[in-house]
Amino acid sequence: MYNVGMITVRLPQKKMELELPGPRRVMDLLAEAGVRPTTVIVTQGRRLLTKDHRVEDGTTIDVISVVSGG
Amino acid sequence: MKCKRCRRAEAAVDLPSHHAAFCTDCFFLFFRRQVTEGIRKLRLLAPEDRVLVCVSGGKDSLVLWDVLMDEGYETEGLYIDLGIDGYSDRSKEKVLAYATSRGKTPIVVDLAKEGIPIPEAARCVRMQECSICGTVKRYFFNRVAAEGKFTVVATGHNLDDETARLLGNLLHWQRDHLARQHPLLPGTDEGLVRKVKPLWRVSEVETAAYGFLKGIDYVTEECPMSEDATSLVYKEALSRIEDRMPGTRIVFYKGFLDPSNPLRKGPEAAAPADAVGTPRACAACGAPTYAETCSYCRMKERVRKARSLRAAPVSR
Repeated sequence: MYNVGMITVRLPQKKMELELPGPRRVMDLLAEAGVRPTTVIVTQGRRLLTKDHRVEDGTTIDVISVVSGG
Repeated sequence: MKCKRCRRAEAAVDLPSHHAAFCTDCFFLFFRRQVTEGIRKLRLLAPEDRVLVCVSGGKDSLVLWDVLMDEGYETEGLYIDLGIDGYSDRSKEKVLAYATSRGKTPIVVDLAKEGIPIPEAARCVRMQECSICGTVKRYFFNRVAAEGKFTVVATGHNLDDETARLLGNLLHWQRDHLARQHPLLPGTDEGLVRKVKPLWRVSEVETAAYGFLKGIDYVTEECPMSEDATSLVYKEALSRIEDRMPGTRIVFYKGFLDPSNPLRKGPEAAAPADAVGTPRACAACGAPTYAETCSYCRMKERVRKARSLRAAPVSR
């Protein structure tokens, strides 16, 4: 069960999920999650979010790493 | 935040390295212009080229194929099934699904059928998977291109890949590698097909954003063999610098590519570091090589020997 009063931040490649209080900007959520902004894109459903986008409580966002190795 | 180009729509992508933010439509224009300018400035492709696009199922290669098709180039996709449990199947699914959506059927090379799946080959010859993978992929890129009469091989290496490689080459003063690092490696009369990296001006964030906004379903998981890749260390160092000083990566790479840079000899210095004389045909497979047999055939022979040693009964 998700807490409707929180923001759910999913990091699928790390198989992690965080619940953080909102409203907060994407860049602040990334800082809290320990993720550098130049290494990810942040999505909400089919929408891409800019780093200054304000995320409201009850929202689920995905943080997708873009770094490929090898 | 409003789009800096049309100044009407809400921005979907912010790009501190360009001091810009774009709505979806303007970002598509921006991204495609970055790629086409990269092609034009370094004369990577000509309109009449037949392009073999090497696709892994990841964002960069699928985005590259997408852009080249949209720009009107004649392209076919090449997927190499590396034989990595689970990961290869999922990557292949993405490639096939994307290709089908564009009315294409990719060329597929199955390394298990070729007798050299990467994980087993690495165990047999006790080498890093990434090193074997590089040799094997380069071999098949060229072989498939030559056999299929393609005029050029295109890979999805982006600005982050190229600057990470540049940093690694500089830190170890790999002068021979520095001399050859370029988005264009010319072909040779002896059968080496021209290789190009049309995404050299765009970052990983930009290709990921383009792929996401275009609805390209790419594999987001990382290759399990590359977890310890040194390129990731260089990428992390550069992304820390980029965070503090946006735009550093492109300045770093453009400066390196400047023809006046004495570290670079230009695309004509495309021969491998151990190249002596002119390339000739591999005694085993006929591929161009500077040795008696090519590095792929030598590796395959080592794998075959290791496999037969393992299979041999232990004498008492």
